[in-house]
Amino acid sequence: MTAVRRRLSPYLLLGPGTIWLVFFFVVPLVYMVKLSLESGLVGNLEFNWHWKNYSDALSLYDTQFIRSLIYAGLATLFALVIAYPLAYTIAFKAGRWRNVLLFAVIAPFFTTYLIRTIAWETILSDQSPVTDVLKAMGLAPSGHVLATGGAVIAGLTYNFLPFMILPIYASLERIDEGLIEAAKDLYSSATQSFLRVTLPLSAPGVVAGTLLTFIPAAGDYINAQFLGSADNQMIGNVIQALYLKQSDYPAAAALSFVLMAAIMVMVLLYIRFAGSEALMGEEAR
Amino acid sequence: MRSSEKGTGRASLLAATAVAAIAVALGLVACGSSGGGIEGGGSDEAETVKLEKKASGSLTISNWPLYIDEKTVPDFEKATGISVNYIEDVNENDGFFAKMQPLLAKGESGGRSIFVVTDWMAAKMRELGYLQNLDKSALPNVEKNLLESLRHPTFDQEREFSVPWQTGMGGLIVRTDLAPEIKSICDLFDPKYKGKVDFLSEVIETVPLVMACEGINPDEASEDQWMKTINRIKEATEEGQIRRFTGNDYARDLTSGDVVAVIGWSGDAVQLQADNPNIKFRMPTEGCSLWSDNMVIPVGAPNPTAAEAWMNYVYDPKNQAQIAEYVNYITPVEGVKEVFEKEGQDELVKNPLIFPTEEFTKKCFTQPKISAEELQNVTRAFNSVVNG
Repeated sequence: MTAVRRRLSPYLLLGPGTIWLVFFFVVPLVYMVKLSLESGLVGNLEFNWHWKNYSDALSLYDTQFIRSLIYAGLATLFALVIAYPLAYTIAFKAGRWRNVLLFAVIAPFFTTYLIRTIAWETILSDQSPVTDVLKAMGLAPSGHVLATGGAVIAGLTYNFLPFMILPIYASLERIDEGLIEAAKDLYSSATQSFLRVTLPLSAPGVVAGTLLTFIPAAGDYINAQFLGSADNQMIGNVIQALYLKQSDYPAAAALSFVLMAAIMVMVLLYIRFAGSEALMGEEAR
Repeated sequence: MRSSEKGTGRASLLAATAVAAIAVALGLVACGSSGGGIEGGGSDEAETVKLEKKASGSLTISNWPLYIDEKTVPDFEKATGISVNYIEDVNENDGFFAKMQPLLAKGESGGRSIFVVTDWMAAKMRELGYLQNLDKSALPNVEKNLLESLRHPTFDQEREFSVPWQTGMGGLIVRTDLAPEIKSICDLFDPKYKGKVDFLSEVIETVPLVMACEGINPDEASEDQWMKTINRIKEATEEGQIRRFTGNDYARDLTSGDVVAVIGWSGDAVQLQADNPNIKFRMPTEGCSLWSDNMVIPVGAPNPTAAEAWMNYVYDPKNQAQIAEYVNYITPVEGVKEVFEKEGQDELVKNPLIFPTEEFTKKCFTQPKISAEELQNVTRAFNSVVNG
């Protein structure tokens, strides 16, 4: 009895997750593959291995594709630049303020994503003091900040920042301070001990943070919709319009797969070169 | 020995799970597509609803948010004994269509007996065979009280399958303190207002109005003329003339003064003006677009008898006045004005956005009839501008 139970237990433990994934990921995915190879007008769609949907997706929307990757890349970069020092401070210097600061990082999640993005419309509106300052600094060549690419990137950076901070914080917080002390005992400068001890040990957090920021940012459409103009729209906006406005389901499905494949390839390359070791820790060796 | 046993155990476990997953997935997809998936709907000739002698039972209605007062539904329930499930799940025509289409293709309406959709969407659903014809014998109030100007729209010449819920105008909404000179759609292209105007992101609203500025009659426009007009909008977008394409959210841009004028809807203007007297609806010198949101009965609708009882009920001027007072659009029902006059509601009676005179709307045009295929093509071209 116990032997049977022991043999069954992994299946039982995997069960809920597997069933969930099959119904809500695998099934829709297979269905979308089929849809992406159909052609015709809605109401008369026909499955006929219409691969042209894929070549069209690439040739018609390459501008938005490249734009999405650039916006998401810049947002990830800015988020990293902001997040690392912040996470470092919270992990090592905050003392009794640590929990307060962590709470401040998470606090925006108490409001919905949509409301936070719409709030940025007000923050960056033409009459706001923020816009005046940016204008005075010569950072608003078109005379306004809202409805520009800059506003979209700013929104993306803001919205995904916590996903960058938290993994970096988690990896920094785990570092044994004895190692840093050891580096100092061995006469390394502060810079050296940071570059050779702290930074490598926090690499898993950086890799996880960049992935958690870049992947959703590349597919985002809310920020471009509210903060962008016609020429700042991202690939998510195109997919949304194809599906909800043009009722061109096959094209939308094909474009989604192209996006998925592109992101997957980029992530695999990134992990391969930048850090399977960093991401998985010891086990990947 | 132990470890290798464990290894094969884990591998076979994973393999078994994967195989099971794929089998289930394929099975479900097969079921899905045999049930209709996304295929054609009914026949070319729409069926007429079959009515019972007396309306009873329950009724589910899908309408837009904030499009009815609080009393009409309970009053109707009391008067008829029909229980109403009134859901506000139509936020945009396309989105609602995307949600309902897989069901409609299978001849089902998701339990709904009435949808409220805009003219062009009603036409599109009809073309796909998703709507039923109405039995007018149960709609005496509609026959009697529907405004003359709404009786023969191009998309449904004899009102066979649609009954207007409310009507409105698409035109200019202007910040009169910031841009008092804007009087026409053409003025929106004036370089003076570069980056200070919003257009609607709905192709069927924006393009015909710009056509009017170009001197093209939207009702007779060829696909080429649609494309030419879209091209003009494209050039203006690339020059930075048009700040962005919006839905009702132009309200924020107007209130903050980020834009000085938009292409927008009359009903919104009434509400915005209440908060800021400098925001006004302007009849463009080219004319406005007149649209209606229509009640339609989809294929597979349960209890069409109750659905028609509802249509007939809201076409009684007394009942309609209750709705009209709340929503601020143009009421499609004759006699509501008289009800308001009797109640002494002079402000409503005098508002040309609620009771427009013939003189006021004489140059306006209804939404053009356009085939599903043409609509697909022009929508694609327009969206490539909106999502440049």
